[in-house]
Amino acid sequence: MNKATRKAGAPYSFLAPALILFVLFLAAPIVYAAYLSLRRTKVTGLGLGAGSRHEVWAGLSNYARSLTDPDFLPSVLRVGAYGMIVVPTMLGVALLMALLLDAGRTRVGTFARTAIFLPYAVPAVVASLLWGFLYLPRVSPINDLLTGIGMTPPDLLSGSWVLYAVANIAVWGGTGFNMIVLYTALRAIPTDLFEAARLDGASDVQIAWRIKIPIVLPSLIMTFVFSLIATLQVFAEPMTLRPLTNTISTTWTPLMKVYRDAFIRNDIYAAAATSVVIALATFVLSFGFLKLVGNRAFNQED
Amino acid sequence: MKKTMLPLAGVLAAALMMTTACSGSDDNASSDSSAKPGEKVELTYWTWAPNMDKVVEGWNTAHPDIHVTVNKQDGGDPAVTKLLTAIKAGSGAPDVMQAEYQKIPTLVSANALADINKEAGSLKAKFPDSAWNAVTLGSEALYGVPQDSGPMMFYYRTDVFQKLGLEAPKTWDDYAAAARKIHTANKKQYLGTFSANDPGWFAGLSQQAGASWWGVNGDTWSVAINDPNTQKVATYWGGLVQEGVIDNKPMYTPEWNAALNDGTQVGWLSSVWGPGVLEGSAGNTKGKWKAALMPQWDAASPANGNWGGSATSVTTQSKHKAQAAQFIAWLNTDPAGIKALATQANVYPASVDSSAALTSPPAFLSDQTDFYSIAAESAKITKPFTYGPNVNVAYSSYNDAFGKAAQSKKATNFPAALATMQQTTVDDMKNTGFKVSG
Amino acid sequence: MSVSTVLPVVPATASSEAPAQAHRGNRRISPAATVLLLLGALYCLFPVLWVLIASSKSAGELFSTFTLAPSGHLFDNISDLSHYRDGLYWRWMVNTALYAGVGATASTLVSAMAGYALAKYTFPGKRFVFNLILAGVLVPGVILAIPQYLLLAKVGMTNTYWSVLLPSMITPYGIYLCRIFAAAAIPTEVLEAARIDGAGDWRTFGTVALPMMRAGLVTVFLFQFVAIWNNFMLPYIMLGDDRLYPLTVGLNGLLNQGANQPSMYIAVVTGALLSIIPLIALFLGLQRYWRVDLGAGAVKA
Repeated sequence: MNKATRKAGAPYSFLAPALILFVLFLAAPIVYAAYLSLRRTKVTGLGLGAGSRHEVWAGLSNYARSLTDPDFLPSVLRVGAYGMIVVPTMLGVALLMALLLDAGRTRVGTFARTAIFLPYAVPAVVASLLWGFLYLPRVSPINDLLTGIGMTPPDLLSGSWVLYAVANIAVWGGTGFNMIVLYTALRAIPTDLFEAARLDGASDVQIAWRIKIPIVLPSLIMTFVFSLIATLQVFAEPMTLRPLTNTISTTWTPLMKVYRDAFIRNDIYAAAATSVVIALATFVLSFGFLKLVGNRAFNQED
Repeated sequence: MKKTMLPLAGVLAAALMMTTACSGSDDNASSDSSAKPGEKVELTYWTWAPNMDKVVEGWNTAHPDIHVTVNKQDGGDPAVTKLLTAIKAGSGAPDVMQAEYQKIPTLVSANALADINKEAGSLKAKFPDSAWNAVTLGSEALYGVPQDSGPMMFYYRTDVFQKLGLEAPKTWDDYAAAARKIHTANKKQYLGTFSANDPGWFAGLSQQAGASWWGVNGDTWSVAINDPNTQKVATYWGGLVQEGVIDNKPMYTPEWNAALNDGTQVGWLSSVWGPGVLEGSAGNTKGKWKAALMPQWDAASPANGNWGGSATSVTTQSKHKAQAAQFIAWLNTDPAGIKALATQANVYPASVDSSAALTSPPAFLSDQTDFYSIAAESAKITKPFTYGPNVNVAYSSYNDAFGKAAQSKKATNFPAALATMQQTTVDDMKNTGFKVSG
Repeated sequence: MSVSTVLPVVPATASSEAPAQAHRGNRRISPAATVLLLLGALYCLFPVLWVLIASSKSAGELFSTFTLAPSGHLFDNISDLSHYRDGLYWRWMVNTALYAGVGATASTLVSAMAGYALAKYTFPGKRFVFNLILAGVLVPGVILAIPQYLLLAKVGMTNTYWSVLLPSMITPYGIYLCRIFAAAAIPTEVLEAARIDGAGDWRTFGTVALPMMRAGLVTVFLFQFVAIWNNFMLPYIMLGDDRLYPLTVGLNGLLNQGANQPSMYIAVVTGALLSIIPLIALFLGLQRYWRVDLGAGAVKA
């Protein structure tokens, strides 16, 4: 490429709007959050009236408080368990549906593809609202059906079920999108790659397992990483379900704790400290995973 | 390269212009609290009471110089969240703000509410002492004018009570007996539910029992959430939940609404504003409900607590404190304002003159002609209660601790939850630097 | 945040279209595949079906009649919702369209320029910029929203349309995708030819690069449009005046009335139904653009 002959400033001017916006609305807030995480308020006297509150340096005390909060570790573990349910289920179902669509042995393909993709159009807040109605025993048709066939329906928002109830909303919302991603990758496989195997008598399952899945593995890895990131950030679903049940606390996930500290307890400093911890953990996990699988998509240079 | 920046520059310039347009008058904030004569003053008012824009229309027609715009909020908690964030940011707060009584110390502590003692004039005589205390915090300052109050009241299904030969419970023992009888007669029916989602409700019950969760002594706060009075309340409810005669699910869920409507919940410990909620939730059972005084711990000396109720305050970011105070005084003490509050915004005005505006009972209980005399009695026997500067922390701790306790259905977990609440609240105050005893 | 909203989308390039589509789809029908796909479709449609049925009920029927039995009040409910506070709901709808339309257009353009520069130029600091943008992909919106609010408030811009629009204009995913797409769709020789013809950098971008990236840009646009349409946290924090609300925040407000207000479930359910119709229409209308190839970038790297 003979790029050197072009004006040297051109790439920078192409990048300028993005960089300005990036600095103003992403970098600056993050730096500001990091700054806030080192601050705290100090009151004097009864703390009433003007001038009784001052912002002072807090050192790392916000971090200490955040990490030693008895609710913090359980919420991290909970999100871990939640991720173990959501990511494999969602990607497994998405892959299965994509393979079924790609095999082309059905007449309902277009309908099914559209229907399964549909939940992507539903905001998480609205999706949680809808499922919330469907979970409550008195208003749920699922319960009516189960009672109808003589079963005792479980209370889906009780302690032993609530994690699955929240996970179901995420699976419902995310499967269609991942299915489309994988389906697109499957369609890109040249037919002759598996046509020969088919002539040799390989079944669809064998073809899928031995030929198709290895080829779409890069797509699977990327969907995995992004699903993992989304999982760590689970927020809207439990937040919307919380008023319906005793079993979802205000610190049910780490981001809910951030929200509680910032907006309910009015302690943005503690919230900032927890935010920084979550952001760091997300970086480490995603980059660590990509390093582990040696995937270059995330950091390609051409 | 110059040309390339044009679209973005345009956006930024436009943004900048919006900025200056919005904040242009910020420069002389607070220094200039009175407008020049003949100049029209614009006030914004954050409130979540329904139809408040119609109430304010009355003011706007009569006062062309001071125009009030209502910004409807989603409720007391989100409104306070937004106000505190705006205060922290230094701009974005309204001039006038509806604030629940329990939030006032928090807001004052964050320097969000202006002292309007000078601007408002002497209004003390127009309000009951308990409401007046809530807006002065026992000091010389005035952080708002009481708007509405929420004395607790008990609502029950007369048809169910009659069938079982029950009467409205006079005492909490009666209430427990009625709960048992109702649940025994029909396993699906409950007289009420213990809601871990409504700390204000539990605070009201504790207030009735004689608790006052915070207190001030010199420059030291005291916290008495885990006091014997509240313990009595927590133990009482823990017992009923463990027994299974009272439900353990939160209120204000679709489930709970359905239960009121189909006769699964046949009673509700609520507040003076209860009929409005029942009208929406339990429309199918209209005509079967009645209101009564709350059950008592000691029938010989009746007492009550509050659930809900709010003041109208001026924020520290308002540039027109005098005009805002004038509007607030009109809204809450002028007969026209009180009448509009009672009939259009459907609140129970805090003013002692409210009885003139409250002549006929609420639509949902149209047969109960003595509704407002019961309400007045309920308001009269309300006990004093002091809120602290971190009610938000105590309340969110209530959600979590009592959520777990209610879910476990074990009586012993209820007093334990109370101890957690006390501990969390004290720890938070100490951490922020308050002097705390107890 | 729903899982789907953070997934990057890479449109299938022309070259990655399977060349032998004809061989698929004309084989023996498999009942098992049909049943499984229909089960998946049923699972995904069920809540949508429920909301359609629920919004046809009157307030009294919502919780008392069998949940899957429709009633005839849909148009009454829509009319009631339309009259709620002088048509506030429709204003939310217009606001949402404005936020999503303007925000997605601007962010697509910004991303296209940045992605093009990162893919087709070498310059000092390129690697740093790209890594910076990748790091931005990982930051959750909830964490950003608070400091964004505090910073915007310092310049008095909260509670304006700008407070939602401006932060929506930057999307690290969009830049990431545009870079991959520009690398795949624009042959360097074409750029060289344009340069030899004497076209400047900007004319080359506008007349050569942009048209070649068109299919990908539509996908980025749709992706960002959906993300803004579904966003809750940012507008929830930024806006105090409910006349500026988008649908998600407005519906949430309807759902969480204060304790002393009657519930508005019918309005919420009807509003939820109406709120998803525009996006569904958009999906069905532009379905062919929803071909996203996440692995393409990796394979071609």
